[in-house]
Amino acid sequence: MEGAAAFLRRLLRGAPPLRPPGALDEEAFAARCIRCGRCAEVCAYRSLRPAGAGRGLEAGTPEVVAREAPCWLCLRCPPVCPTGALAPVASPRDVRMGRARLVAERCFAFQGIVCRTCLDACPLQGEAIRQDEELRPVVTERCVGCGLCEHRCPAETPAIVVDARRRP
Amino acid sequence: MTGVRWTRWRRRVQALSALLWLALPVLADPRLAGTPAALRAGPVDLVEPSAALATALAARALPAALLVSALPLALLALALGPVACSWLCPYGLVSEGLDALRDRRARAPRIPDAGHRARAASLAALLALSLLAGAPIAALLLPPRALAALPLEAWSARVVPWVSAAILLALLALEALGPRRLVCRALCPAGALAALLRRPFTWGPRFSRAECRCPDRPPCVQACAWGLDPRADRPPDGCTSCMACVEECPSRALVALRRAP
Repeated sequence: MEGAAAFLRRLLRGAPPLRPPGALDEEAFAARCIRCGRCAEVCAYRSLRPAGAGRGLEAGTPEVVAREAPCWLCLRCPPVCPTGALAPVASPRDVRMGRARLVAERCFAFQGIVCRTCLDACPLQGEAIRQDEELRPVVTERCVGCGLCEHRCPAETPAIVVDARRRP
Repeated sequence: MTGVRWTRWRRRVQALSALLWLALPVLADPRLAGTPAALRAGPVDLVEPSAALATALAARALPAALLVSALPLALLALALGPVACSWLCPYGLVSEGLDALRDRRARAPRIPDAGHRARAASLAALLALSLLAGAPIAALLLPPRALAALPLEAWSARVVPWVSAAILLALLALEALGPRRLVCRALCPAGALAALLRRPFTWGPRFSRAECRCPDRPPCVQACAWGLDPRADRPPDGCTSCMACVEECPSRALVALRRAP
C-alpha cells in the first residue's frame, strides 16, 4: 500500500520541489503537512508558496521557488509547524533543503568573465561556495540549498540551480 | 423569549472570527498565526481535530504534541457541542449567507434527516482516503481552511490561490445546487467529528414538553438553520448549539440551561 502510493506519487510529479527548512523527507512531509499555511504566513521574505494543482495531492503544501524568492534562512517557519512536518532546525548551517549545482556552460566565470555573484550571495560566506584556482565557483558539501545563488545569478537562465534534497 | 439575543451575539462572534482570519496574514506574527486548520496563539497550539486525525492516519503516527494540540477543540465540542461550526467557522458564515440569499428566491429543499449518516460516511471516507493516499486529504478539503487560505496565500505568498479557490468554489456550488447547507451539515470533516462528540451532558437547547404550547409548525423548528426539531429530550443529532430555537421559543419550553430535576 505504502509502496503503491509512493510509486504513483513519483510517477505523477516531476523533480521534488524545494521545501522549507526542517522539512521531513518528501513522503513523511506530504503525510504530515495539513496546509494550515502558518509557515507561509510567518515567512519574513514571502518565500513560501502553496504548491499548485499540478502537484496533485500535494497541492497547497509549501514550496520555495528559488529563482523568484529564495529562502533567507531566517528559520521562523519550523517552530510554527503544528504537525512536525517541519522539524526544528538549530542554525542556518543545519538546514538541508538541497544542494546547488553549477551548470558550467551557462556560467560567466567559466567563459573567462569575472563574476562572483553567487559567492557574494551565499549566506554561508566562503563555506558553501568556493573559488578554484581559475576563480570559478565550486559548490561544497556545506551548501544547504537556500537558493540565494540561483536567485542572484546574472545569467539569463541561472547557471547555478538548487536540486532539492533527495531521499537516500 | 428568554431574553438572550443569541443570534445577535453569534453574529458578533462570527464577524470577529472572520476579521481574525483576514487580519492574521497581514499581522504575520508567529505568536498569533494560522488558519482554522491550525492556530497558534502564544504558547497554545490548536489543531482542528479532524485535520489532526487525518495527518495521524496519513503518517501512521500520532505524536504526543499533535494529540495535545487537538484536544482543546475536541473538548470544546464535547462540552458545548459543535459551536465552532455555528459561532466561529468563517465558512459557516459564508454558508449561512448563501443560504439566506437562496431562501429568498425559492424554498430550497432541506436536507433529509439522514444527515447524520451522510456526515459519518463523509468523515469516514475522507479519513480512509487520507490513510490510503498518505496525505491528509481531509485537511486539504476542510472548508474553513480553504476559505482562510485565500487571503493568506494572496498576501503572504503573493500568488493567486488557485487551488484553494477551486476547492472553495466547488464547495459553494454544492451548497448552491444541493440540499440546503449540504457542506456544513453533511460533508465537512470538522463538523462531522464535532457532531459525533455530542454527549448527553453536552450543552445545547433543553426542552420541556410540559411548557410547550406551540401547534404544528413551531417557531423553533422554523428557526433552525438545519431544519432540526429541538422538541426532544436531548438536542437533536447535528445540533450546533447556535441557540436560534431557544431565542424564538415563545414560552420557556426551550432554554439554554436547565437544572436536572
